[in-house]
This record gives sequence, C-alpha cells and structure tokens, in this order.
Amino acid sequence: MKRILDRRDFLRGTSGGFGSLALAMMLQEDACADGAVKVLHHPPKAKRVVQLFMGGAASHIDLWDHKPMLEKHHGEKSDFGEHVEAFQNGLGPWMKSPFSFQPYGQSGKMLSDVVAPLGDCVDDMTFIHNLVGKTGVHSQATYLQATGFQRPGFPGMGSWVSYALGSINENLPTFVVLPDHRGFASNGPKNWGSAFLPASSQGTAIFPQRSNPIEDLTPQADFATAEGDRAGLKLLSKFNQQFQRERPGDSRLEARVRSYELAAKMQLSAPEALDLSGEPAHIMKLYGLDRAGATYPDTINAAEEEEYFGRKCLIARRLLERGVRFVQIWSGNDNSFPRRNWDSHEDIERDHGPLARGMAVGTAALLKDLKQSGMLDDTIVLWTTEFGRMPSTQGSKGRDHNPYVFTNWLAGGGIKGGVTHGESDQWGYKPLDRSSPTQVYDIHATILHLMGINHKQLSVRHDGIDRRLTDVHGHVIREIIA
Amino acid sequence: MRRTNGIRVCRDELQFLFVNLLSFVGRPQRLMIAGVLVLLLTPMLKSFADVDFVGEIAPLLERRCLSCHNEQDQKGGFSLRTAETAIEDGYVVPGDSVASHLFEVISPGAGKARMPKNSDPLDTEQIKLIGKWIDEGAKWPANFELAESRISDFSWWSYQAIRRPVVPKLRKDWVRNPIDAYILTKLNEKGLTVSDQADRRTLIRRVTYDLIGLPPTPQQVQEFVDDSDPQAYEHLVDRLLESNHYGERWARHWLDVVKYADTCGYDKDKLRPNAWPYRDYVIRSLNEDKPFSRFVQEQIAGDVLFPGDPDGILGLGFIAAGPWDFIGHVEVPESKLDGKVARNLDRDDMVSGALNTFCSITVQCARCHNHKFDPITQDEYYGLQAIFAAVDRAERPYDLDPDIDKRRKALKVVIAEQQKKLDTIASEVEQAGGAKLSELRKEIKGLEVRVSFKKSAEFGYHSSTVKRDDSQKWVEVDLKDSVDASQIVLHACHDEFGGIGAGFGFPVRFQVAVDGEEGEMTIVYDRLQEDVVNPGLEPIVIDLGGRQIRRVRVTATKLAHRKNDYIFALGELRVLDLEGKNQAKGKPVTSLDSIEAPVRWTRRNLTDGEWPHYQDPDAAKTLEVAKRDLAKLNREIETPQRRAERDAATRKMTAARSDLAKLPNGKMVYAAATHFKSQGNFHPTEGKLRPVHVLHRGEISQQRGFASPGMLPLGQGLSWKIDTATTEGERRATLAHWLTDERHPLVWRSIVNRMWQYHFGRGIVATPNDFGRMGAAPTHPELLDWLAVEFRDGGDWLQSQSMKDLHRLIVTSSVYRQSSAGENSNALVDGSNQYLWRMARRRLEAEEIRDSILHVSGAMDHTMGGPGFYLFKLERTTHSPHYEYHKFDPHDSKSHRRSIYRFIVRSQPDPWMTTLDCADSSQSTPKRNETLTSLQALSLLNSRFNLVMAEKFAARVANEHDSVQQQVYQAVRLVLQRDPSDSELKAFSAYAREHGMNNLCRFLFNLSEFIYID
Repeated sequence: MKRILDRRDFLRGTSGGFGSLALAMMLQEDACADGAVKVLHHPPKAKRVVQLFMGGAASHIDLWDHKPMLEKHHGEKSDFGEHVEAFQNGLGPWMKSPFSFQPYGQSGKMLSDVVAPLGDCVDDMTFIHNLVGKTGVHSQATYLQATGFQRPGFPGMGSWVSYALGSINENLPTFVVLPDHRGFASNGPKNWGSAFLPASSQGTAIFPQRSNPIEDLTPQADFATAEGDRAGLKLLSKFNQQFQRERPGDSRLEARVRSYELAAKMQLSAPEALDLSGEPAHIMKLYGLDRAGATYPDTINAAEEEEYFGRKCLIARRLLERGVRFVQIWSGNDNSFPRRNWDSHEDIERDHGPLARGMAVGTAALLKDLKQSGMLDDTIVLWTTEFGRMPSTQGSKGRDHNPYVFTNWLAGGGIKGGVTHGESDQWGYKPLDRSSPTQVYDIHATILHLMGINHKQLSVRHDGIDRRLTDVHGHVIREIIA
Repeated sequence: MRRTNGIRVCRDELQFLFVNLLSFVGRPQRLMIAGVLVLLLTPMLKSFADVDFVGEIAPLLERRCLSCHNEQDQKGGFSLRTAETAIEDGYVVPGDSVASHLFEVISPGAGKARMPKNSDPLDTEQIKLIGKWIDEGAKWPANFELAESRISDFSWWSYQAIRRPVVPKLRKDWVRNPIDAYILTKLNEKGLTVSDQADRRTLIRRVTYDLIGLPPTPQQVQEFVDDSDPQAYEHLVDRLLESNHYGERWARHWLDVVKYADTCGYDKDKLRPNAWPYRDYVIRSLNEDKPFSRFVQEQIAGDVLFPGDPDGILGLGFIAAGPWDFIGHVEVPESKLDGKVARNLDRDDMVSGALNTFCSITVQCARCHNHKFDPITQDEYYGLQAIFAAVDRAERPYDLDPDIDKRRKALKVVIAEQQKKLDTIASEVEQAGGAKLSELRKEIKGLEVRVSFKKSAEFGYHSSTVKRDDSQKWVEVDLKDSVDASQIVLHACHDEFGGIGAGFGFPVRFQVAVDGEEGEMTIVYDRLQEDVVNPGLEPIVIDLGGRQIRRVRVTATKLAHRKNDYIFALGELRVLDLEGKNQAKGKPVTSLDSIEAPVRWTRRNLTDGEWPHYQDPDAAKTLEVAKRDLAKLNREIETPQRRAERDAATRKMTAARSDLAKLPNGKMVYAAATHFKSQGNFHPTEGKLRPVHVLHRGEISQQRGFASPGMLPLGQGLSWKIDTATTEGERRATLAHWLTDERHPLVWRSIVNRMWQYHFGRGIVATPNDFGRMGAAPTHPELLDWLAVEFRDGGDWLQSQSMKDLHRLIVTSSVYRQSSAGENSNALVDGSNQYLWRMARRRLEAEEIRDSILHVSGAMDHTMGGPGFYLFKLERTTHSPHYEYHKFDPHDSKSHRRSIYRFIVRSQPDPWMTTLDCADSSQSTPKRNETLTSLQALSLLNSRFNLVMAEKFAARVANEHDSVQQQVYQAVRLVLQRDPSDSELKAFSAYAREHGMNNLCRFLFNLSEFIYID
C-alpha cells in the first residue's frame, strides 16, 4: 500500500506524455531510483521473509548447538587456550546447559528440551553454527544483524527488500514489524527505519494489543463518525482533485488523492488481518492460543510467553497471506530489570527457559502452518539474534556475551532441510574453522539471492557512496540452497 | 623507488593528457579514464605480453589485494608489492596458473573463493585474466612496484580556486539582480523561457513559509495584496527577516545537517537534558545574522578562539550533536577493544560531521582505505581524527552573561591572592613554631574529626528483641527500579542505651545480598564465618562496580548484645549510583520484624539520609586543652603585625567567597569537552591527547603508525599540516581557521549552495553534502562562484558573510518570484526544472505542517527557547528510558510550541513527524525526502494531535463568528490564506452543518492546497 504510492511507482503506471518525462525527472532527482529492481536479476525461489529476532542475545549452546564437551567438563576451570576479552567477567568454570538435548527428525538434529516443539520441523531447517559478530555491545550488534552496519543510519533488511521489490498488496504495508509487547529491543525503531531509502520502505510497527494497532489507523475522538468520515473523504477528494486539475503536470497531487483512497482501504483490511476470531480451534491450539482469559503470574513464565509469541506468529501468517512481504518479529525488550529478554548474565535457566519455550511453540506452529498451506515453499523464515553466549559461567548460573560465534537458522523459500552448515568448536566458543566463518553479510546475500536479487546490484547512492545491504562483503551460501 | 622504468612517465603523461582532455569534455568518470588509458596503452605495451600487466593486472591487484598483501601487513605471509615477493617466493608460478597459490585462492572451486577475504569475490573475467597472465609467463616488468590505489587528481571543479566571475550583462527589465542575469543567460542558451511572476497572494504565502516557516495571517495577506507601494514586496521580506521566527525556521535546516537530537541514541538512548542550549544558540546566531566565519569558528573551536564568550562554548554543541554510544563509553572501559571501537566511531562522527557540513566532502569514505573517488588518503583521514583526539561529548558549563563570567574570574583572583598571603604567613609561623607546633596541630585535627559528631533524633531501624543471639533477622531496601550501583554503604547506629553508643545493634555476623529485581539474591558481602569487630561509626563500604541492582538485603545471623537480650539495628543504608548519588534515600524498607517506635526507631529511618557521626565527649575536653596550648604557643610566635595581616586576608577572602557563591552557577550545555564529571568508565581526558593510529581496513586491532594531525591538502596556498607538538585546543583552532580561510575552495561554495537549495528545493549542486566525484556537477557553476565570492567578501549586493543579505538577494530575484505553473513547452526540454524556468512547488515540511496547524487553530504558544517539550510520556528513566508516544495527551499545552523546540528522541523518533519525512537524527540530512504514503493520510486524518487541534480550531472560529457560514469562511481564510469560492463555501457549510465544525476543520487540515506551496 505504501510503496504503490511512491511517486515513481505511481508514474510507472502511466505512459507517454508528460508522465514519462516527469518520471525521468524524478529518477534523476531521486538518487534511489538507480537501485530499485525493475527486472529481477534471476528467477526467485522466495517471495516473502519472516525474520525472528531475539533481543539481548540468545545462547546458541543452550538451544541449538549441542556441546557434549561442556557436559563432560562442567564445573572445571575454563581454558580457552588464548586470552579472551569478556564483555563483563563471565570467564568462570565451563558450564553445561541447564537443559538436556535430544535428537529429532530424520536428520537426528540435537535440540535442547526448551525448543523441543521445533523438533518436528528440523528436517525443514538449515542450521548455521559458525556465525561470527564484530562486537559484544548490544546496540552495535543489533544494528549489524538488522541493517548490516554496526552504526545507526542504515536501512533494515526489510526496508531493502521493500525498496527493491515493492508491494504485492494494496491494503497493507509491505514491511511489518511486530515488536515485543513489553517494549523495544536495543535501538528501537531504528532497526526497521528506512534511513536513506524512501520512507515508504520503512517497517510499520503493529501493536495488536493497542486500540490503534497501526498508528492513527482510526480516529479516537467523540466527534468522528463513520458517516462523517465517509462524507469528509468525499469532500476532500473533490477539492483536492480540483486543486490538482488547476495544476496540471504535477503527479504528486494526483498520488495524494489516491493515498486517501488507499488509506480508507487499509482501515478496513488491517483490522481484518489482525482479527483472530475466525481461526479454527485446532489452529489456535497449534499456536498456543487456546487458553482464552488465562491469567499469569508476575514472574516470567512459559505459558505467558507462548501466548504472546504465538499471537505474533499467527498474525504474521495472516499478514503473509494478505501480501505483506517482510515480517519481523521481536522477542525480548530492552536490557532492564526484571529480565524480559535473552541477556541472561545472571541465570540462563530463569530467562531462556520460558522465552525459548514461547518462541519455539509459536515458531513451530508458524512453520507447520505455512507448510500445510504450501506457503513455506516461497517464504523464508530466518531466526537470528545479536550474538551468542559464552560456554563459561558468569556468576553461578549466567553466561556472558559471545560475539565470536553464534547460531542462525533458516527454513523454507528454497532453503535445504535437515542440514547443518558450518560448525562451532568443541566448546561453542569460536568457529571450528576460524578461517571461514559465516557472517551476517552472507545470510543477507543468500536471502536476497533467493528473492531474485543479486546483493551486489541492489545499491543506492548516498553521500557519495553506493550503499548496499551487504556493504562490500557477502557471499551467497550455495550449500544451503535446495 | 617505484617504477624506475619508462612506463611510469608514459602513464603519467597520458593521465595528464586525459585530465586536460576530460576537463573540456565534461564530467570525468574514473572508469572512463581507466578504460581510455587501457585502450591507448594497450598497443604501446603489446611487446610485454599478451595480457597487459601494467594496464590490466596491476590495477586489479592494487585495488583488490594490496591493502592486505603488502610488505607491511603481509597477511598470510604474502606480499604482492614486487615481483620478488610475489613470484620469487612461489606464490605465482610463471606459466602454471593451476600450481599458483594466487590463482587457487581467488578461484571459487566448489564453494566460495577464499580471497579477497571479507569482500566481494573477483568476477569470472578477472579470474580468467589473472590465470592467462600467469600461464603466459607472469611477466612483471623489472623494478615495477604495485602501489595502493589512491586518487591524487585535484582537477575537479570543487577543488579549483574561486574567482569572481563577470556577471553577464542583459538589458531586460526581468533582470533585477545578478542571480537573474545568470539564470536567464542559461535559459536563453537552452532555449527556455521564463514564467510569469506569481500573484501577490501566492508570493506572500511562499516567502512567509520559506523565511519563517509559518503561514501569513489573513490580515497580512490582505494588506500586502492591497499595498500600492512598488517596494511592498521588499518591505515584506525585510519584515520577515527581522522576525525571530526566521531563526526558528532556518535553524531547523542547520540542525538537520548536524544530526541534532536530545538523546544519545544507540542502546539505552539516554537523555541529553542540556543539548538544547546549542539549538537555541543556532536560532540566536541566525537571528543576529552572525558573520558566517564566526559561526563556523565557534562551532569548531569557540572555546579556544573566543575565551570568555559563552557562544564559544555553546557553539561546540555542534561537535557533540550526533549519536553517542553510552554502553561503549560508560560501561566498557577504554582499555577494551569494544571501548576503543566506540571511541574510534565517535571521532569518525566528529570528523565526518565537520567535513560533510562545512566542506561537502565525504571524508568518511577514507576510514578503511584511501578514498576511492576523491583525493583523500587514509592517512589524511586519521590526521583529521587526531584533531579530535582529546575531546568527548559531555556537559560543560557556560555563562549566558559575560559580565558574570568576568566577575567570577576576578573573585577567583582575589581568593587566590589572599590564599597566597595566608600561606606565606603560615609558613613563617611554621618555621617559628617548630616541631611542637606541628604536633599540636596534628592532635587538634584528629580531635576535631571526633568532635564533629552529629546525630539526629531518627536513630535507624531496630529489630524486635530476642533472647538468643543465633536467630536470623533481615532488613531490605527496595530501590523500586534497577540502579547501576557503584557502592553500598552501611552505617551503624548510635544509642547510649545500655552504655553502648556507637555501633549499637550492629550484627556480629551478617551478609549483604543484592538482586536484579527478581529471582535469587547474589551475596556481595559475606561475614558469616567469623565474628566481626564492631565498626563503631566507621561506615562499611561494599564496592559493586556499576552492577545493576534493584533490592539490597542485609541478613544478620549472629545478633548484637543489648542489655539482657539480642537485636539487629542499622542506622542507614545507602546505595550510590555511578554518579555517587544515593539511590536508596526515601526508598521503602521491609524487614522480618521491627520494634517500630518512632521517632527514634522505625524502618523508614534506614533510608532517611541521616546517620550518626562520631562524637567523643572526652575528645572535646582534650581538644579544648590542645587549643589553649596552641593559642599560647601562637601568642609566643605571632607578632601583632602578622595577626593583622592574617585577619585582613581572611576577611577579604571570606567576602570574595561569599560573593562568588552568590553569583549564578554556570549553566550546562552538552558539547565537545575535555573536562567534565566522570561517569562509570567514561573519564575526561583533561586535554591529554589519545593516541590515534591509522587503522588497517578501519579495524581497531590492526594499528599501523600514529596519525599525524592535519586537514586535507587542497592547494590554493592553504597549509594543512599541524605540528604534532600542538595541544588539542590548538589543533581545533587550526581546523577552524582552515575552514574559514578565504582561499578555501569548498566552504564558501558549500554554504551558498545549501542556502540556495532550501529556497529552490534543489541546489545548484544537487548533492549538498558531496562536492566530490560521486556527487552532482553544478548546473550553474559561474552563479555558484559569484554567490560564493559575493557572500564571502561582500560587494554591491550584500554585506560580507551576511546570511540575511543572501536570503534577501535570492528571494527578491525575478527567478524566485516566478509562478510555479508548469504545463508548457519548457517542460518538454527541462522537465526537472533544473534551469529554473519556473518556481518549484513544494510540500510543507513536517514542522511547517505541525506549526501551521497550531497557528491557525489558535493554540500556538510562541515562547522561544529553553528545554525541549515532550511529545511522549517518559517512563523508566533509570535504565533504558521508554518514550511512549501513544500515551501522550496532545491537550498538554506545554507541547503547543513550535516544533523546533520539541525534545528529539534519536532512536525512537516521533511517529507523526517521521511519517511526514522529518529528518532522521542518526544521519546528516542535507535534503529531506518528499514521499507520499497512505500512512501520511492516516496521520493527518486521525492522529490525536490533529483531532485535538481540529476541536481547538473549530472553537476558535466559533468564538469569533456566530453563523456556520461565517465560521467556515473564516476557517478557510486561516488555512488557505484566501477567501473561499462560492462552491467551497456552500459544500463546506453543508458538511459542517451535518457533521460538525470539528470534522470540517479536521478535513481542512488535509487539503492539498494547505499542504502545498505554489
């Protein structure tokens, strides 16, 4: 809906005459025009992306990356064989995961008990255990994973995808963000901002629990009535069209008239997309949403996490069905107390237990649901976080930051199933092969590739530099493509 | 030495030739130069080999390999600098590409190519070419060395000296000033014609918004339309430039470029409560029409160049305006890599801020390697970082009133002088008194500490009594929010009951535990195994080193003896945060039990900020004796003259101190600073220069040599190197002078281009932050230079460096006064209007829309300056502040001020403003986007701000007029600055009658005519 209103898009629909001249003018004016992908670089395998982002840094070795050596040497003085600069002071004894691991699926992938619901899905997933970051500072690390740069001022991956490919629906945003209901993770909305790309490519945050789930979707005033709005929009359209007719050749004025028509459509379609009341009971159950009216204790608990994360996942599926191209779901708010994110310096079991359970139930439901409808074939699901956590102990039960290695997994949209690509070392401290780790650029390049975009060709001139999502880096990881 | 053979000469000569050639042809493209070079060199170099090493292979290796594989870095033990290191060491096996290590690592094989590491792989053609070169024998001319690619070509328009061009002479009435002459000349050249001059209603609306960012009132429009004075327009412009609203409008443009915000950004996004004095400084400087050089110099080195002038410090808010990583500075020490990365990025922001803003060059491209397009080397980039080697972003004091600052300094001199006198007397006395005197003094000092005892009526917390000492009791303080705690301090009680006194009720064995708001407690102080010596009134200090805590619990496992029973009592528990502030004061206290006997004993006394200090009655007696002895001794030593001198000096000093205390304290501004209060790991440099290294690929772990401070070599006789022995202040001062040197080729063009852009919607150079080869070329180079010289030096049309005069010149030109109507044959030739055959129609900016809505609805509070108003509800400030926009009530009249005064949150920008393309303070915004989305439609229709203002607007017109038709008439005049047509009046009135004026006003804010300026 937003994208279609971009001046350029609007003009693309017209032909000849002043319209195309004006288009030429705007392409020249607008540095972004060079980058937009008019013809895909190669046939795509995926049309949509879901990015699951764990704020605060989720531990790879307590969820996905099983380390028998830690079980064997639990409690012994840790020895990394080299000097380690810890973010805080988490270089205590080796610590095994408080959760036990079991094999799942045909591939026999070992998963932690807290993510057991995803056991049914492992044969559709590719795990990458040798991701490396650049910093153990939350903010910079979040930027790096979200935008490809560790500083503010760059567009998120969803913005690049929206910018490149545009919208496949008229009534909903192209790029939707479902933030943690308790608050924003590091950097807040800057993680999905459009930066130097057009504002139409920015992520639109949806807060399903608010009276206006999308900012300003409906008027909250006594004097506003449905009838008054209908008549008002008609009046507005009449005089805005008259203003436009008196100023021929300015396509912006025409686009503006149209933007009000599309806004009215979104007012109808957005609440419908967010309304779960028509979902059948078995689907509600699948997403962990079968406890209507349940109350929860004040302390963090798995049932509540399931309900909140599951709701976001189900809404994500409904949005994808309605043509939203990129959905970003956040788990975890800022680094304050009590912990409601993955930054478990004090106690892995206390925070990771319920957060992981909630994430796993919702995510497994989403994967299964997309698969049964066939949408998983052209929808990529990416699970990511800021960095990993150390195999040594912080305090007595916590883990410090580990930017040296962590895990991502992908599924659907042309990704191989049941595969592990790249491993971490025996402790989960650094990549097993330190000379060829995977970086966020490779993940981004691969996702763009699956969507039919050559990551090196999607660039925008900004302050003298041709900027792209992958900076000057990035290799498509061919080994994980089906 | 490099390239001793003839090839070097040959290449250089050719390059020279091309550059000259291309300067005639037009905008040179690097690729084109390379392409043409290869084309021309190929036949000459045929004799070397089939693949041309010098023309094809060497540039490729230089660009893609040499930055790591040189003799200095030798990544993988491999240098490609010379034939010896590349071929003779076996990395290249001439004649056999398959056996060559070089070829192997660049080939993709099964997966991705191993080299270039962390970078895009070479393409297939390039790999083939290298393979062919090796197979053909890897011919490498003798003595030919590779050199890292760097641009050294200054033959680009923006680096050329600015000379005053001759203004074209055109005998046409249309030409009001030289701007018109230049524009018309170009239009004539292109076969374009000028548009009609706009009507007066259009003109007043256009120029009023342009200069002050607000709509004219219906009266102002009427008066201007009816004014028969031929100079009416000029008078209007004068009035607008005299208005203080001018600074409020144009400061916003400046703040867009410098990334101004009221929070730090990054993780936690902490508040900057004192950033606003810089914002007010910019507004005031523009309203005062401060000469531009002065404005530049104050922002780079005002503290050094204009000592005593508050503007010299306020201006330094420029350097500090951008984002700052709290975690990377405060929580991570500078000794760690993450701390160093944060400081490197911080200096990068300062360097790019200064050079992008004032010079319009993208110097930051040279952080990881030499600039790929412009003549800026990596060494020069780090030389610029070295200028900022000792500054950080922090709060520092300034005085609004220079007289007060003068008086403060004078009083400090008086105090220092009198102190010196007293010191002299004291040392004379010392000598005369000998050992006896110093012993007596020492004794008195010790006694005085003990005598300075104070005890309030509120003793502290007191448990209930028990008969055995081994029962366990606890008391706990809930800080209500997590606190970054540096220390916990425990103070025992003092009660004479039972003759106990100091240390009353202090436990014999105990522990202190903390938590982060929930879950298990962590023990931070453990005295459970052995009896402790009662501390008396000595505080017990527990260091936490910035740990986040929410609750503190003291558990006694062995109680203190009272008379015939045992108790646990504690006078005070303090939790000091990183700034030393007691966060426990007044916080709730819980305990296992308590005797609750106020005033003396109650739980809340534990956090009441009162605790007993030592007192010793015997000490008081001893002190008196000692003092008598001292007096006696003094009488023996001292002369009446000495006494009189001392009394006089003491009197003068006391008076000066008291005067000083009465002066208002320096107010604080968030600015570049070297002296400030420490916070966690963030300490002031006090002017000590941090070592700045040239960083290979910008990596902090890959330091090359020290950077030597300097600017950029731009020729024109401008010196650019700075002596390494200079202080940090001298370095900034040198930069400030360089940036305002009249010979500077970039600065003057940059500023006039920015101002032109804000008036016409497009710069003479369309990329205002980039005058380099990746930027746009000027459409009117002579006009740009004429404006730059006229602005710099002054002349017939304006006073030197007067921004207001430049505005006046631009807006009174015929070019500016043209109609914006665009449907004619000119559009076929120049659809983008780059030659200005008409005026550009523009959408109002976010701030203009908000301010106009406030203005017409009568809600606007025009108070200027001061701390920013919130458009959000601020919650949870101790850790990561939450900026809750959806909880804000737009009825709050504190927020009904101009948008320039709003509190700008960097990481969570205002959603309404963002939807309307307001600048993102995380990056420099030299030009705003103008997008059209349906979210904008929703914002303008439904945001609570618009709804509340619609009500206020309706109430305003209802207050002024009785009938609905009159109300509608007036509303349209206020919103559109014209009378409604009959059809409008009829349709709007009918709507208002049916759905209410509130709704009509709401829709009037959505009219395209309100949002667009013709």
